[in-house]
Amino acid sequence: MSLAQRVLLTWIFTLVFLIMLVLRLDGKVNWNWFLIFLPVWIFDAILLLMLVVKMAGRCKPGYDPRNGSQDLRKKAWYLVAMLLKLAFCLTLCARLEQLTEIKLTFVCIPLWVLLIGAMAELGYNIFPDRRD
Amino acid sequence: MKPVGSSMLFSLRELVQWLGFATFELFLHLGALLAFSVLVALQADHLAPGMSWWLVFVPLFAADGLSTYFTAIVSIRLYQEGERRLAVLRLLWVLTVLSLKLVCEVLLCQKLAEQEQARDLWFGLIVSPLFILLQLLMIRACRVN
Repeated sequence: MSLAQRVLLTWIFTLVFLIMLVLRLDGKVNWNWFLIFLPVWIFDAILLLMLVVKMAGRCKPGYDPRNGSQDLRKKAWYLVAMLLKLAFCLTLCARLEQLTEIKLTFVCIPLWVLLIGAMAELGYNIFPDRRD
Repeated sequence: MKPVGSSMLFSLRELVQWLGFATFELFLHLGALLAFSVLVALQADHLAPGMSWWLVFVPLFAADGLSTYFTAIVSIRLYQEGERRLAVLRLLWVLTVLSLKLVCEVLLCQKLAEQEQARDLWFGLIVSPLFILLQLLMIRACRVN
């Protein structure tokens, strides 16, 4: 996908999600929280699909395995990150719908792991020399 | 080893270009978000009695302040090195984004802190700076492309 397509995809889903969130918070609609998060689910599904297709591309016969383990480790981290985000959103929805009485601290644990991981990745990019 | 710099959907380079923030600033805002989410969880679970909502929002405000400081320094350096147009454009863009973000945060904090008095403050109003920000980001994306 080109940059413009990716930007447009992110932009539209963010916009729709924000609008639905505002409507629900202001009490204009009384939809289920899982329905409010629908743009998030669709966006995550698209990202997961793209990731799986990219990972499956490694199994093609003509694949060049240079720098492969590094690349695979990165892809695996992205997969874990997606699952963490999904876990956070799902438990948050369940908590908002009062399906469970779980404490918000436990709901947030996947989010914290995800944020720490993202910060570590950014940190590696800021201080690349530390890695050697 | 060279950093790969690719990311899930956008590479880090594309993100820095699109959002107009340096990698360090992104790092700063992520850290602030982490601290903020921890404080929100503590507040919502009543694990820290007596903590006000304004205190919960302190990490976000601090990150905005530090980001402004960082941008001011970068812009001054750029200006001194003769890149005047770039310096002014960068300063204007970052200040716009940060002030929109700050307005949204202050309104949200007010809503949460003063539930009774802020009843008229509906969420559509609180999030409106973010809608403006989204439009600006779309325009910027066209230019980056």
